[in-house]
Amino acid sequence: MELGTFIQSLLNGLSIGSVYAIFALGYTLIFSILGIINFAHGAVFTLGAYFTYFLIGGVNNGTGVLTNLGLPFGLPFVLATLLGSLLAGGVGVILDRMAFRPLRARGADPLLALVLSLGLALLLVNLAQYLIGAEILSFPSNVYGDWLPPAINFGSTENPIPVRGVQIIIFTVSMFVVVILTLLINRTKIGKALRAVAENATTANLLGISTERFILFTFFLSGFLGGLAGTLVATSFSISGPYFGVTYGLKGLAVIVLGGLGDIPGAVVGGLVIGLAEAFVPGDFSAYKEAVAFALLFVILLVRPQGLLGRKVIQKV
Amino acid sequence: MLELKNLCVNYGGIQALKDVSLTVKTGEVVCLIGANGAGKSTTLRAISRIIRPKSGSIIFNNTDVSRFEAAHVVRLGIAQSPEGRQVLSRQSVRDNLEMGAYVRNDNEINADIDLQFQRFPRLLERQNQLAGTLSGGEQQMLAIARALMSRPKLLLLDEPSLGLAPIIVKEIMGIIDTLRESGMTILLVEQNARLALQHADRGYVLEAGNLIFDGNAKDLLDDPRIKKAYLG
Repeated sequence: MELGTFIQSLLNGLSIGSVYAIFALGYTLIFSILGIINFAHGAVFTLGAYFTYFLIGGVNNGTGVLTNLGLPFGLPFVLATLLGSLLAGGVGVILDRMAFRPLRARGADPLLALVLSLGLALLLVNLAQYLIGAEILSFPSNVYGDWLPPAINFGSTENPIPVRGVQIIIFTVSMFVVVILTLLINRTKIGKALRAVAENATTANLLGISTERFILFTFFLSGFLGGLAGTLVATSFSISGPYFGVTYGLKGLAVIVLGGLGDIPGAVVGGLVIGLAEAFVPGDFSAYKEAVAFALLFVILLVRPQGLLGRKVIQKV
Repeated sequence: MLELKNLCVNYGGIQALKDVSLTVKTGEVVCLIGANGAGKSTTLRAISRIIRPKSGSIIFNNTDVSRFEAAHVVRLGIAQSPEGRQVLSRQSVRDNLEMGAYVRNDNEINADIDLQFQRFPRLLERQNQLAGTLSGGEQQMLAIARALMSRPKLLLLDEPSLGLAPIIVKEIMGIIDTLRESGMTILLVEQNARLALQHADRGYVLEAGNLIFDGNAKDLLDDPRIKKAYLG
């Protein structure tokens, strides 16, 4: 492989991998607190992208009930992304309050919560299809502003190594979010309390930490990350319809299992590894790109069943 | 300070506590002794609202504790060092202490952490270590120090001597004596009855969920019935 292609694949891989990472962190946060996989996370990803699309003033060209409708105003993209992600966080909060929390209050088996999350995913996806339609919605190509060139040349004029400007933005934003989240969780009182709840809810209670409040916060944070990831991916490609998040939802699962379930650095490493692996799939085999994540997962779990960074669980009998 | 009236707790289908009534006065060290499974830890868990009693009341400084969620009980001034220590094993010793002060918002938290380090110099040496890597004795010290970080009015200690070497037990009981001299009110649960009675003002004896004896610690130490059943 020549150097130019290598650098190009590397940058593309880091870019998509960093989105996988922030998306997967949404799964990881909920898993580490509740021990459940929230299958509705992929749907929240889709909703986040829709929210931002409409907040910048996008019109629905889908054939759903709300066809040809849009908001009477358009926000600047940065603000819309922030608000759209906050709304996705709000969806997370609603899901917990209306669905997961009542189950918890009855002391239901975590398996039920998992099945419930599958149902919620279908509900959200179908609701989006009903309201918006199944058509593709695309962000304007200059959504980040005209200052951002469509492609940035990382090589010389003779040997150009073009990388799309959007990819650079996505990588920067995602890594920024990863750093902020890491600081939040490791350095702040809220983060330490969150980790206390994750480690032992009863002990957290004895210290005066309200478990329910932190579960709600976790759902918000998870939804925010999912919605932001959805928006970022949608600006790079487009919103392919209500099922937009399904592939990412599955890939996100591969990411967290690969990195180690419930492990925050693991989700980041897992995301980057899968993003890079996909980017280095030769062009002739690009049809098999979607399978790479799972092939990689299979191989790595054979060697390290606890995931890349996961802790070995020692079952004491 | 603390008054339990006719407390009944059902736990996993069995009646773990039957009509338990006891009082702890300000500045007292009261111990609750009894065999394994007698309901000692259950009593402390009920006070901290980790489990819900079936009936009876828990009054703390004229406030009915049952009106509050578990997480709020610490704010009332009741802190617990739980059975099995339950340190946050994946966080540093210092972070554990900070979490002990979770309910506080004042600016004396760091000063209080230093105070705990004076009390338990071994924790100072290990302040940046993950709590899970500490020895059992050090974890017990951390659990007590963490409970003290909330500046409680009442300290609940659940089996602080459990599984520890005699020399460490001595050190920990020394700390309890120091706390007692400084005026801290303590409800101490112990399986080691002699040890507990030696360091307490008064004692209660639990047997299969019933309180069967109570009295001054010294009297209980000399009571032939207690000697026979609990002091071996």
